[in-house]
Amino acid sequence: MKHGCTIIALLFSAYATADTNNGEYVFHAAGCLACHTVEDGEPLAGGRQFETPFGVFYAPNITPDNQYGIGRWTRKQFIAALKQGVAPDGRAYFPVFPYPSYQLMRDEDAGKLYDYLMSRPAVAEPNRPHELPWWLSTWMIKPWQWWFQDEPPAPPSDARLARGRYLVDALGHCGECHSPRNWAGVKDQARYLGGTKEGPEGENIPNITPHRDDGIGKWRADDLAYYLEIGELPDGDYAGSLMAEVIDNSTSRLTPQDREAMVAYLRSIDALPDL
Amino acid sequence: MKKLTVLVLALAALIGTTPIALADDAENYIKYRQAIMKAIGGHMGATSQLLRGKVSPQGDHLAMHASALAALNTNLAQLFPEGSDFGETGAKAEIWEQWDKFEKAANDAETATAKLAEAVAGGDRAKITAAHRAVGKTCKGCHEDFREKDD
Repeated sequence: MKHGCTIIALLFSAYATADTNNGEYVFHAAGCLACHTVEDGEPLAGGRQFETPFGVFYAPNITPDNQYGIGRWTRKQFIAALKQGVAPDGRAYFPVFPYPSYQLMRDEDAGKLYDYLMSRPAVAEPNRPHELPWWLSTWMIKPWQWWFQDEPPAPPSDARLARGRYLVDALGHCGECHSPRNWAGVKDQARYLGGTKEGPEGENIPNITPHRDDGIGKWRADDLAYYLEIGELPDGDYAGSLMAEVIDNSTSRLTPQDREAMVAYLRSIDALPDL
Repeated sequence: MKKLTVLVLALAALIGTTPIALADDAENYIKYRQAIMKAIGGHMGATSQLLRGKVSPQGDHLAMHASALAALNTNLAQLFPEGSDFGETGAKAEIWEQWDKFEKAANDAETATAKLAEAVAGGDRAKITAAHRAVGKTCKGCHEDFREKDD
């Protein structure tokens, strides 16, 4: 009986110390910080630059500043922006903002994210306008959304895989970098997480499907979880560039159970060879 | 006799270093530092396997890895002379554009590996694991800003 109590107490403390249910946890899992903060700048005040084939984009200020941030947004407006890519004034966001991934987020988590962001310090930092090529303008995004925003595939029925899928797709938005895009900038579902040579900042983004030669098929599950926690590859090399940011800001802050769920899910998806 | 030996050795050292100095082309550092980085990675990976209990303690290997890491991480920044940014390298131009920041990141690795060696000498498992993770943080921290992904 005494042992039973100890075990229950231990389980409870493990649960209590890693509250996967608060806004800060959702914030880390959804990886908001890195893109919405310029290097050495005020957190979440925006300004980070994204050079893409569709122009140069600047991440906006998402601090609760009334003038430049999201201070006047309602919870409903925030959730619509996050999940449908629609700004409070009705305009559509360019999908540099990963709402095609966040659409899978539960409203409850999106609401917690809202509360968390509203609790952060406001920074009066103006937003920089995007630099678009001549053929692209904002109005085109509405039809783009209508045409390309497909119903995502149903989650796996196994609870752990479903949690992993939620962390990989809805929050972690791994596919925004690890899946290639077609001519219209839409993620190619047939090449889901299959990597791309034309990733952000011109980087070569690896295949993270369980393909044995080209993907992560030869990695042990615990090595993958260790990588997401620490950043060390099985050969002793350490992650760099964008993935180091993802590990620092996001995956290292998850609970071990959540990292294991991500790994289990990644090992369950279709293995794709490199093209 | 002793004085003669010293003189001969000194002369030999002087002659010996001359051709090396001539071959000390900035671009030659690319292959050399890649080999050093691989060696560091090898020792880091082996240390992880030991600390994670993947293999039984291999005699005094942990101490060997720790002292090798401390030695290999001494003065890392000198492996990046100006002009060694051409050819097959993942070294970003930011290294030379933000040299002070880079040098600090490299020095952090030196400090962290020295601390790891100290912790291993102390023998406290928790401290060793923490020190190893701190080294990893410096690797990742530097790669984040200064290494281009190539694979």
